[in-house]
Amino acid sequence: MSAATLDHRNRRTMLIAFGIALAMLGLGYAAVPLYDLFCRVTGFGGTTQVATEAEADLAERLAASAGGRSFSIRFDANTATDMPWTFRPVQVTDTVSIGQRDMATYTARNNSSVPVTGTATFNVEPEQAGRYFNKIQCFCFTEQTLQPGQEVRMPVLYYVDPAVLDDPNMEGVEQITLSYTFHRAKPE
Amino acid sequence: MSCARNRTESVGQMNFGEIARKRLHILTILAAAFTLVFAPQAAMAQDAESAEAVVEEAAAEAPAFEHFGADMIKGQPEPGGLTFQQQYSPNGEYALWMHDAILMPIITVISIFVLFLLLWVVVRYRRGANPVPSKTSHNTLIEVVWTVIPVIILLVIAVPSIRLLAAQYEAPPEDAITIKANGYQWYWTYEYVDNGGFEVISNMMPEADALAANLPVQLAVDNRMVVPVNTPLRIQTFGADVIHAFGIPSLWFKMDAVPGRINEKMLTIEEEGIYYGQCMELCGARHGYMPIAIEARSMEDYQAWVLAQGGTISGEEEPAVEVEVPAEEAAETEEAAAEA
Amino acid sequence: MATTAEGFDAHHDEHAHDHADHKPGFFARWFMSTNHKDIGTLYLIFAIIAGVIGGGISGLMRWELAEPGLQIMGQIVEFLGGEGTFDQQGHMWNVLITAHGLIMVFFMVMPAMIGGFGNWFVPLMIGAPDMAFPRMNNISFWLTVAGFLSLMFSAFVPGGVGLGAGTGWTVYAPLSTTGSVGPAVDFAIFSLHLAGAGSILGATNFITTIFNMRAPGMTLHKMPLFVWSVLVTAFLLLLALPVLAAAITMLLTDRNFGTTFFDPAGGGDPVLYQHLFWFFGHPEVYIMILPGFGMISQIVATFSKKPVFGYLGMAYAMVAIGVVGFIVWAHHMYTVGLDVNTKMYFTAATMVIAVPTGIKIFSWIATMWGGSIEFKSPMVWAMGFIFLFTVGGVTGVVLANGGIDDNLHDTYYVVAHFHYVLSLGAVTSMFAGWYYWFPKMFGRMHSEFLSHLQFWIFFIGVNMVFFPMHFLGLQGMARRYPDYTPAFEQWNHVASLGYVITLISVAVFFINIIYAFVAGKKAAPNYWGEGATTLEWSLSSPPPFHQFETLPVIEDHHSADDHISPAPAKA
Repeated sequence: MSAATLDHRNRRTMLIAFGIALAMLGLGYAAVPLYDLFCRVTGFGGTTQVATEAEADLAERLAASAGGRSFSIRFDANTATDMPWTFRPVQVTDTVSIGQRDMATYTARNNSSVPVTGTATFNVEPEQAGRYFNKIQCFCFTEQTLQPGQEVRMPVLYYVDPAVLDDPNMEGVEQITLSYTFHRAKPE
Repeated sequence: MSCARNRTESVGQMNFGEIARKRLHILTILAAAFTLVFAPQAAMAQDAESAEAVVEEAAAEAPAFEHFGADMIKGQPEPGGLTFQQQYSPNGEYALWMHDAILMPIITVISIFVLFLLLWVVVRYRRGANPVPSKTSHNTLIEVVWTVIPVIILLVIAVPSIRLLAAQYEAPPEDAITIKANGYQWYWTYEYVDNGGFEVISNMMPEADALAANLPVQLAVDNRMVVPVNTPLRIQTFGADVIHAFGIPSLWFKMDAVPGRINEKMLTIEEEGIYYGQCMELCGARHGYMPIAIEARSMEDYQAWVLAQGGTISGEEEPAVEVEVPAEEAAETEEAAAEA
Repeated sequence: MATTAEGFDAHHDEHAHDHADHKPGFFARWFMSTNHKDIGTLYLIFAIIAGVIGGGISGLMRWELAEPGLQIMGQIVEFLGGEGTFDQQGHMWNVLITAHGLIMVFFMVMPAMIGGFGNWFVPLMIGAPDMAFPRMNNISFWLTVAGFLSLMFSAFVPGGVGLGAGTGWTVYAPLSTTGSVGPAVDFAIFSLHLAGAGSILGATNFITTIFNMRAPGMTLHKMPLFVWSVLVTAFLLLLALPVLAAAITMLLTDRNFGTTFFDPAGGGDPVLYQHLFWFFGHPEVYIMILPGFGMISQIVATFSKKPVFGYLGMAYAMVAIGVVGFIVWAHHMYTVGLDVNTKMYFTAATMVIAVPTGIKIFSWIATMWGGSIEFKSPMVWAMGFIFLFTVGGVTGVVLANGGIDDNLHDTYYVVAHFHYVLSLGAVTSMFAGWYYWFPKMFGRMHSEFLSHLQFWIFFIGVNMVFFPMHFLGLQGMARRYPDYTPAFEQWNHVASLGYVITLISVAVFFINIIYAFVAGKKAAPNYWGEGATTLEWSLSSPPPFHQFETLPVIEDHHSADDHISPAPAKA
């Protein structure tokens, strides 16, 4: 093997190696949207689903034919330490039939003397319930701005997918906790 | 150390004052009186001046609640201990059995077996004993054996391991008592959401107070997390600033408190007593100084304690209370943030 | 030596090396080096310096933990110009544990194993004149040094409560983002970027060298196992490090440019950082131990005077460990809030790793079985490795169980486990390799007596440091605590005493080096005798500055698992 062909082969191997490294680097960044997508699709980490009115109607009809088991739903509210809001569910628990649309309300009040914009993160526990917990409307879909001292009621419209009855992992689950955390929104 | 004490006290006082004024009035009075005899609530003695005057009348109207003293400590490390702390939860007992009856024998036998083989080759195949080396470099049978046997051993381990995991993930029943453990830099708050939503702020007890009360230094806290015994608890953890972890060795319970989400797990404590734990995820400068103390009490005692805290017994909640409570809590949170 | 071609043999006498030994001047040789052996030496010197600093830090840690209460953090903070407030003392502790972890992982074990021994012996063992890209090799080294300096610098700039980065080596968000203001964490992250870039270049270099530069006849399945181990390690580096680079770059932008990859306030998730970190972090632990496996295989075969038992099984066990190492990462995150199926999967996958690891342990013993073992110092270190690694491995099986880990996660049991496989495993294998190859690299024999002495002192010392940590962990003592409740005092005290003993063994190590350079005998080309059959033993000690200018030819009947020369045993 002459020196020239060795150099050529070396360069090719190096480029392939760099290509692999670059691909992994790309995968590292791609993990952000992929993880997000993965969580949304599978409900991993207790990520809830977003449903349209039409899907909710369908679920209701399916549930009607399946017969009504019900779940207790617990509403949980948190604020990050730098968030000067009071944030609470109006009702701590509620019982909802599977497939039935239900409305839960939270209250939020800005205790500071300046307008504060908040953004909410959320999850459900137990985590395997995430893929069956559908929100039709939620204050968490958009940022909320509260004036100093302003108090608002924030609704969530949700239902539990009837498919939950077919999941062996959901056997024995009697209560699902829906948790929200309000953070101070990052300035754009 | 002295700095820790000052700092902890200042946080404790402020938060304590907040609670005492609004919710803990009766408890404070009782506890302050109690402190004179038994010191775990030493921190509360701050309010003693006003307390002493009203001790008698308070004692007459409220159900008596006295915190456990050092004699009721069940879950704490023992000096020179060699193995796990004694377990006081069903999953802990099962896990301990799995460790002691399955894992420990297996890993001990494997380690001794390898040591024995090494010693054997040292004796039998040292140059003096075996001057001419063999040239064996293959033996399919033995290679299959030492692949298959470990697989079998792992299967033996896997069965109870999976069973344990399934048990740990059993969902709490609907009527389980829900308590939220919120991690802050650097203290815990316990929110009794099923009992009116009051919140207990728990700081490490200063060393002198702990020693005076005969409680373990760096594990003792000013306000314990009181829970009912033999009752399923739905423990939810939340991290307000960075990730903390809520870990109690004697209950085989550990769960991270992550910002932006809650975690949940069921816990049942089988005996009355005090169980100590600590923050188990690096959370900054005072990571080592935010201990956890759980006090498991009979249901009657628990309810007495809840009432003393200004809470409600489940089923009796009134919306009015709920609307009122959050305001103070947020204020506390805000102050805590400012303090941090 | 039977494995070399006629053209280049061990019989070269020193004066015949005029051309081969033409060395550049001091500055050009050591600062602009393109010679794999010189770069290997530089890496080893660098690793020893970093190891002394990292080991010194662990001394401060053991001093602090010798008794309950804060002992020396206040003095350290004041020494560095701080006020010594309580929070600064706690922060200083966090800075020390962070620095200890990062230094030992990125600037001691990796440079020594891959940069040092890898650079020195991969080209020699495959019959190559040098690495494929000598100048890139130089860049790799100096990037590592720059990374180290950046980490050292971070200790002197503000990092929140005090000076330095106190995030732990895992740099978890949000403690490392919103939880640590000041540039210290940025410099620590930048240090990982530099070291990571250096390692990626190095990995590329090794892969290219091993694939393309093997001497005629040196097929992949005849390569010495050390070369195999470096090849697998290089692939792990290439696949794992870019993910770390991506994760820590996102940390940097979260810290400085307002992105919210890991910040829930902007829709990010701190748990994602942990997934990314451990996707890198778990292969990383194999990166640190695999070259050690390779060295132990060479040493055990050499001193048993037998070929490695089950050569192919050994090689592919390493490949299997590398592959499985990529799909078990979440066992570092059992308590973060995983659902039951995820936890069961990671429990099962993690336990699978025990199988190829077991194959390696038993194959080493089978290699010795039937051998004619000489207990020269490298062999004693290698046998120590096998036992200590086994002990570290079995506690790994305990920790693999997600349900059991619920109690042990982030306790001293974990600290004991990973120090048994790294501090007692990887480091022991490095000392084995050091004594195996020291005379080859530097041309002088070390003292066998001192090497044995060091082994026994080290063995007693490290076991005293780390075995009691199992008890502490089982009793529930948490990691990363500068202080503890008095119940933990006894075993902590024993561990701190063990550190002093270990320190003595390190002193013996340096005395041995001085002895070798001052009074050591000149080393023969093959000073270990007929058991040493790989190509480096066909060269003088030290090897000529340029070797294998005529490539050696590996004869057919000398496959790597059957390469004993037909010469009669010396005995």
